[in-house]
Amino acid sequence: MKFLKPNNLTELFSSLPEISGKKYFLAGGTDINVQIKNGLIPEGTIIYINHLPELNGIRQDENEIFIGALTTYRELLNSNIIKKHLPFLIHSLKNFASPLLTTMSTLGGNIANGSPTNDVSPPLLVLEAELELISQNDSRRIPFQDFYLGYKKFALKENELIKGIWIKQNAAKGYQTFYKKVGSRKTLTIAKVSVAGLKRIDHGQITKIKIAVGSLNEYPRRLFQLENFLIGKDLDTLLEYDISEILKKEITPISDLRSEKEYRFQVCLNLITKFLSLNFVG
Amino acid sequence: MKINMKINNKPVTIDVDPMKRLLDILREDLHLTGAKESCGEGECGSCTILLDGNPVTSCILNAIHAENREILTVEGIAQTKAGKLLIDCFDETNAVQCGFCFPGFMVSSYHYLMYDGEPNLDKIKHALAGNICRCTGYQKIFRSLYLACERWQKR
Amino acid sequence: MSSVRKIDAIGKLDGSRQFLDDYSYPDMLHGYIYYSQKDHAIIKSISFPKNFDFSQFVIVFAKDIPGKNIVPEPEQDQLFLAVYEATYYGQPIMGIAHKDKNILQQFVKGIKVEYDELKATTDIKECLENEKNHFGRELTIDHHQESEIAPDWIRQKHVYYTPHQEQAYLEPQGMIAKYDPETKSMFIKGTCQCPYFVKDAVETILGKTVQEVVVETSEGIGGAFGGKEDFPNVIAGITALLSFKSGKAVKIVLDRSDDIQITTKRHPARIEIETFTDPETKEIKKLDIDYRLDAGAFQTLSPVVLSRGVLHSYGGYNIPDVFVQGRLMHSNTPPNGAFRGFGAPQAFSAIEAHIDRIAHKMNQDPYQFRKNNLLRKGDEFPTTQKITEDHLFDCLERAVEISSYQDKLKDFAFWNKKHDNKKGIGIAIGYHGGGYTGNGEKILNSEIKIVIEKDATVKIYVINTDMGQGAHTTLAQMFAEAIGHPFSKTIVQIPNTKKSPDSGPTVASRTIYIIGNLLKKTALALKKEIGFSSLEKYVKENPAEFPKEIHNHFKQDPMVIFDEETYQGIAYKDYSWGVCITEIFFHAETYQIELIKSWNVFDVGRVVNEKIAVGQAEGGILQGLGYGTTEFFYKPGFGRMHGFTDYAMPTTLDLPEMIVEFIHTDETLAKGLGEIPMNFPAASVRNAFHNATGIFIDEYPLTPENVFKNLKSTD
Repeated sequence: MKFLKPNNLTELFSSLPEISGKKYFLAGGTDINVQIKNGLIPEGTIIYINHLPELNGIRQDENEIFIGALTTYRELLNSNIIKKHLPFLIHSLKNFASPLLTTMSTLGGNIANGSPTNDVSPPLLVLEAELELISQNDSRRIPFQDFYLGYKKFALKENELIKGIWIKQNAAKGYQTFYKKVGSRKTLTIAKVSVAGLKRIDHGQITKIKIAVGSLNEYPRRLFQLENFLIGKDLDTLLEYDISEILKKEITPISDLRSEKEYRFQVCLNLITKFLSLNFVG
Repeated sequence: MKINMKINNKPVTIDVDPMKRLLDILREDLHLTGAKESCGEGECGSCTILLDGNPVTSCILNAIHAENREILTVEGIAQTKAGKLLIDCFDETNAVQCGFCFPGFMVSSYHYLMYDGEPNLDKIKHALAGNICRCTGYQKIFRSLYLACERWQKR
Repeated sequence: MSSVRKIDAIGKLDGSRQFLDDYSYPDMLHGYIYYSQKDHAIIKSISFPKNFDFSQFVIVFAKDIPGKNIVPEPEQDQLFLAVYEATYYGQPIMGIAHKDKNILQQFVKGIKVEYDELKATTDIKECLENEKNHFGRELTIDHHQESEIAPDWIRQKHVYYTPHQEQAYLEPQGMIAKYDPETKSMFIKGTCQCPYFVKDAVETILGKTVQEVVVETSEGIGGAFGGKEDFPNVIAGITALLSFKSGKAVKIVLDRSDDIQITTKRHPARIEIETFTDPETKEIKKLDIDYRLDAGAFQTLSPVVLSRGVLHSYGGYNIPDVFVQGRLMHSNTPPNGAFRGFGAPQAFSAIEAHIDRIAHKMNQDPYQFRKNNLLRKGDEFPTTQKITEDHLFDCLERAVEISSYQDKLKDFAFWNKKHDNKKGIGIAIGYHGGGYTGNGEKILNSEIKIVIEKDATVKIYVINTDMGQGAHTTLAQMFAEAIGHPFSKTIVQIPNTKKSPDSGPTVASRTIYIIGNLLKKTALALKKEIGFSSLEKYVKENPAEFPKEIHNHFKQDPMVIFDEETYQGIAYKDYSWGVCITEIFFHAETYQIELIKSWNVFDVGRVVNEKIAVGQAEGGILQGLGYGTTEFFYKPGFGRMHGFTDYAMPTTLDLPEMIVEFIHTDETLAKGLGEIPMNFPAASVRNAFHNATGIFIDEYPLTPENVFKNLKSTD
């Protein structure tokens, strides 16, 4: 295993094309070290990026908030900008992993690891976050919902990496919010099912709704078919509709050592139903 | 690779593989065996140390993560006033059983005492949520930290 | 003096006390146990990675064993290293050692083994389909009466299942072996409960090639709960073999995932219970139990677990007609071994679940029904042993009182009518026999040694280990209190087979109950013999008599007679009694059971150190609650279970408020405390779930998935 520590972004990008074989970016290390221990990274080059300031920090401009890829969960949870504008994100990530992992785990690392169970994706999806991707000569923004292409498959080009996350300051403003992670216990746990939701009610009708789920497909995703079905429905009569048929088309839960597919499906349905039946000013 | 860090307030330079686990550096190179390896995957907290004042599981960090940073281990904490108070409170309640997880609990408790310190059971439970103990059922651990918070406030 | 501070706490808090992995020796090699990655297979070939300096590795196979390839304790059927065939995932195949831990790890990852897979069984439900899966060992307790079954008696027959449970001591298992070729002596340092078992194991694997084997424990033993009772024998054997072959010190410390995959666990059980109950008197008239344990690939100590299991299977009830049959099943999982409770948690999980089923049928609340059928003073166990105290009744009354059980039954019934989420409260009761079963203590013939030094320091030499339960504090306290000597000058020595006599295994709560009481008796006898008022003063005045060495043996009460053939007589001289009442909150959307509060009342006789005792109980209760709710092994593949996210034991946010109360603490005898807190919590949660939802679940644990399946099938 080779090791590389570039001094800055420019150096990083100029050295990347020269590296042959597999490349692994090392940020907080909380996931990659587990993979190394389990023999999943037998060879290749580890590129340390955790010290690069360009990828760090939480900033805001007029309309948007930027969260650098290397921002740790601890920094995010303590950020006054996030507390002020996106309390929903704080609420959703409060039960992330454990207080010990928040110190080192980075948002970018969590996204790039691409586990279907990752905690950060469902809330980012309903907030309609965008990712800024950078490479040697280019920088581009893509909707977060387009980032995952399959199980651990990403819309990243060769030698491109995540610079950070952009979220509109008012992404959750005026919405009723919902987030629930179901694990085998209350902390130190991997989600069996997670559901994030935003909805807006006008005159008793759903006018806007966004629902995203984790641990139920090869990657976390928005449930667009369900959202389309729900828009325009009266809140009073909402629970009369059977949404399970639509849900069946959009989620494909599996049985494994953490849970069973029938359970995952039913809990997802129950949580969405709960989200729909709640009516409060969020 | 040469890596500089500060451990328990002393500057240290070590020449190691930058990917060597921080826990192994502490235990093997620096003979600080207070941090223990139990799960090796960041899931139990037995290897907890403070990195720039924040608690981390040193079993899933690498030498490079400690470059130019400050580390406080249980050995360092035990020398501080707050550390001594914690030791006395945990000892007084007979909270310790096998003790393998306790260096980790000491570090998380010290962090809570320093950065919050409110005698509040719910907050204490959350602050210790990354540390697993199999012997005690936790209640005496909560009680000990609660007691330490009360005494620290009164000092 | 009652709650003196623990002697080892400060070193465990400041990080200075040494656990096994904290020791190292010059030129020490690191060892690894390479194990089968198949449940059942023929080992066809093994190939090693090429790009390593092979001469730097020490590798041992079964063929390198100079002695016998059979682990001597307790049932002689387990191999140290597999020969040709592997019968479980995790079975050791070879030992490998190298001076560099990282090179060793990389080398191990490059090893390829070719297997021919054979049919395997990892689930006790499958075990039952084939008579070959039966070890051929049967235990029967026959207390049948000639009476006829009345036509109006209500018959109920149900099957209960309990899962594997991992001890999950925080310190993984490990051993250091240091062979001295000159003196042909082997020194072993280990984290274990029974150093004399380890000594026997090392002597067996090395045979006559070694002259002397000495086993000493590390200063700290990071938890055990039964998990370090017999498996350390295997690790010590392989470590010693590596040290013998290399002539160097070798340390093996298991990685967590290896520890989870290869070491012993709690036996899964299938327990079928049939009862006949008189609907008029609401009395259980007849009880038939078929109690089966999955022993795993080898029997090891399963026969003893089975024995304790059947002796606790009928619960704390007075039933005139009882028949119990116990059997051991064979499967392709690691051999199951000792874990706090030793067959009893399985037994109470079944009988206490069944009792709630009968109570429901009789239309009586679970407390009233239990009281109605309770084993009272003067009644008899099915083994004909007479009950001499009414302490189970006292525990029940007290637990019901402090938990406001009866008010809660009413309140919850009312609340549940109006809510989708549900509240529930459940009871489970019973007992635990202290010390070895039957004639075990007579056979053990435990010995202790005490040395009184010239400065009046009392050194206690016993082989019983302090793995966190506080034994060395409590033992010193019992001696010091009895003789009136300062606690600080009464010190239990680190167990070492060369210095400490065989005071028996550190199991079955026998350390305090047998050894502690023996120390106390010895102290009192000494005081009487010499006739001093202060030992310190006496030593000062009579220096010529010191140092003085005293030996004593445990003598079983001659009235304790147990027939191992018929299972009649006194199975345990003294029983601890206990009751657990647990309140839960059921989340209807996620099918999760949230633990709210658990009230536990025990009679363990005299409580020597109250703070230690409460801590022990709280730990045991939480292990029991985990057993009932979140802890299990994924049956389709043991190899899939790696760490503490796969095996979900309770965290700081998962526990309920736990209340512990001891009653009858003014008795002179300290009885067993270690196991009893573990026996009832699982059943209390299951019964609380029934109270909340009206649904009986007969398979543990009550994971949300399991609850969901049961709710769906009753729809």
